[in-house]
Amino acid sequence: MSQVLTTPPAVGAPRPWRFPEAVTTQTSVGAPVHVFDRPGQYVATVRVTIAMPLIAEPRELEGVATIMSRTLDEGTELHSANEFAAALERHGAAYGVDVSSDALHVEISVPVSHLAPAVELLAEAITRPAFNQADVGRHVTIRLGEINQERANAGYRAREAFAAHLFDASTRRSRPTAGRPDTIRPLTNVEVADFYRNNIGPERAEILFAGDATGVDVAGIIDAAFSNWTSSAGTALATPEPIYLPGNRVVLVDRPGSVQSQLLIGCAGPDRRDPAWGAAAVANHVVGGTITSRVDTVLREEKGYTYGTRTSFAAPRKGGTFSLGGAVRTEVTGAAIGDALRILREARDGLTEKEVQEAKDSLIRTAPLRYEQADSVAQQVGSNIANGVPIDFADTYLTNIAATTAAEATDAYRRYVGTDGLLVVVVGEAKDVRPQLESLDLGDLIELS
Amino acid sequence: MVAGMPLTYPIAEQTLDNGLRVVVSSDRAVPIVAVNLWYDVGSRHEPPGLTGFAHLFEHLMFQGSRNVASGQHFSLLETAGASLNASTFFDRTNYFESLPGGGLDLALWLEADRMGYLLDAVNQENLDNQRDVVKEEKRQSYDNRPYGDSYERLVKLAFPEGHPYAHMTIGSMADLDAASLEDVHAFFRKYYGPNNAVLTIVGDVSEEDAFDAAKRYFGHLPAITTPPPAPDGTIGPMTDVQRDDVESDVPSDLITMMFRLPVDGTPELDAAGLALDILAAGQSGRLNRRLVRDEQIAQSVSGGALPLIGGVSFGTLTGIASDGIELQKVEDALLEEIEKLAADGVTSEELATVQAQAERDWLEQLATCAGRADEISHHALLFGDANRINTRIDQVQAVTVEQVQAAAQKWIRASGRVQVTYRRSESGEQE
Repeated sequence: MSQVLTTPPAVGAPRPWRFPEAVTTQTSVGAPVHVFDRPGQYVATVRVTIAMPLIAEPRELEGVATIMSRTLDEGTELHSANEFAAALERHGAAYGVDVSSDALHVEISVPVSHLAPAVELLAEAITRPAFNQADVGRHVTIRLGEINQERANAGYRAREAFAAHLFDASTRRSRPTAGRPDTIRPLTNVEVADFYRNNIGPERAEILFAGDATGVDVAGIIDAAFSNWTSSAGTALATPEPIYLPGNRVVLVDRPGSVQSQLLIGCAGPDRRDPAWGAAAVANHVVGGTITSRVDTVLREEKGYTYGTRTSFAAPRKGGTFSLGGAVRTEVTGAAIGDALRILREARDGLTEKEVQEAKDSLIRTAPLRYEQADSVAQQVGSNIANGVPIDFADTYLTNIAATTAAEATDAYRRYVGTDGLLVVVVGEAKDVRPQLESLDLGDLIELS
Repeated sequence: MVAGMPLTYPIAEQTLDNGLRVVVSSDRAVPIVAVNLWYDVGSRHEPPGLTGFAHLFEHLMFQGSRNVASGQHFSLLETAGASLNASTFFDRTNYFESLPGGGLDLALWLEADRMGYLLDAVNQENLDNQRDVVKEEKRQSYDNRPYGDSYERLVKLAFPEGHPYAHMTIGSMADLDAASLEDVHAFFRKYYGPNNAVLTIVGDVSEEDAFDAAKRYFGHLPAITTPPPAPDGTIGPMTDVQRDDVESDVPSDLITMMFRLPVDGTPELDAAGLALDILAAGQSGRLNRRLVRDEQIAQSVSGGALPLIGGVSFGTLTGIASDGIELQKVEDALLEEIEKLAADGVTSEELATVQAQAERDWLEQLATCAGRADEISHHALLFGDANRINTRIDQVQAVTVEQVQAAAQKWIRASGRVQVTYRRSESGEQE
């Protein structure tokens, strides 16, 4: 018979865990293949990560990398757009592309039982795209419609204004990855095919498989599918270091009819080259990484201003950011920003041993959950490649976190947050929000519509 | 695994003396254990005047209980390496966490303490605070985004007033404002107890140890009076057309159609869902081919079935008009494709494609302990059969082209639908 236990039962020590190991081979055309055998993962991800820094885009054609990436599967030398989609989906596969600052990722997820034909189609999209003007033109139109949707989305507007005011205009990341109307409209299949020729080739690619490889010659299937990839794009350009704009300032984006204010508050942050990357993650967890963090304890749990906020340190290959994001009720926007800034600045005075230990336990012990699914292994490894770190970087990261002291976490945080000022972006009903900001001493105010 | 081969995830079940159904699926290959509780209370159980109550508890359940301080539920589990959350839906409410196996006892203790003794900690202060948080959730998820109220508008038209699916889980803010502490306590006492829930444990624990732990932490909780069932929502297909035309500051014109569909757990619903997939799923669906690729009158199309257990389900089709295209054209094309499917049926190739997509979706859903635990709770609670997770793919594969056409003919028709349209207002078009 059970009895009521009035104190929490003890937690047993977790089993030791390491990031899954890959077997790495090379295709005949030179691209490395990393196979992560994950028994029991019946749906595999095959991800091709291609170095494609966005600085390769001509300034007046920004977004060409995105349109090129989105039209890879819109007709190939062998299949029309409709035929290609029908063939891929008939194998139970889902196809997707992702363009980041440093790389293009093209991937499929597919039941392992259909691996070979689906990988052939993946290779066909990457190595033999047709870039018909009808398909490219359609995607230009779709992108223009998407920009309308983005403009209506408070979270997107905040991210766009944040990038535009945190980075100098000479830094590519100050502008949207997928381009703006004036740089999208001129694009035709000529510019798209040019960009493809100059940037996509096997010497820039690495191919990942994560899934149950029992009895399947994964490396052989991938090698065969990509064996005709003979084009050459040379090596990728090196992205310059970003240039940040310092100082306290506030950007108010008017979004009439808003019933909440979308906030994004932040500054420069470390990237993965910085030995303090892990320590910064620990500090972030304490300050705003979870619902129990310092920020949400006040903004959500004490004051009920928000459904929830989160902070994060994020970084592509070079140059990171720190940010706090969330939505708060219009009437309390000024009060919420005041509280958030106070908490962010007070954290510079020191994080406690207890807070840091709990953050480390959480970050280290959740690792097996984060990489349980095959797809999440492929996502992590693909971004490691894009970010220029080893494919098992997760182990280094966790080792660094385990070794972080409270003083080191505080130092990592202090080096960035509040050191060169904080940029505050507010997207909301400007006429109601503006008076609330004036009493806060946030620095120069820029208003956008 | 080979396509078409049945899945063989192990399933073991016991019911405790207090009525708690416990399902265990041991998997020693991963260092993780998932704990998942489905309570048989969702928005469909809410009587008029108490809408939003099931969801409110999703918040209050994290505010502490007899032996757990406010905030401690999250902090104890996070430190143990857990990922945790909760969700509310028309048919049920669920609470879940995944964490390294050594934390199983902690997770079960926390779940048991709030199942048995939540009300010790629900006072006016945290009720007021979480009511504010819920209002911010509604503003964020519904009010502050374009088209955010479309489902609220659609279910109101698709189901008669007072029907269990005629209101959304977020509920009415007026109802929440009017709620007294006693109303809130009474709702909990009515629905939250061991005999109105399924507890699922999946992952790095033996069956024996998992059942022992479940008994250790939940065995002493008293059963509650059997809660009243949700009102019967059985209702046939729509027989008319109802519209809600909205003019507002939206980025593009949009139409969503909603159809009533058969109840979940029937081959007829699977067939209707596959019919909607053939129209709207993926890049190769009929609507994407025609409206987006060929005629380019829509920027995007989407749709699918939402399976429900209370006598009826529903499904939707959505199209966003291309810039400069009158939304009526999109509506006309959607209706033409709907009627064409009903009249001419589907090809075996089309059906095989959406079945293959459903198989991948299902395998992905079961690819984590958390996903498997959720589906086990789902099938144990709503169908009384946890092993359905192993046979689900076979059920979908068994649907024939004739069944798809028959389901579409009966349920997905131009003459029996509700729809909401959003058109840009004058000021919106100037942007």
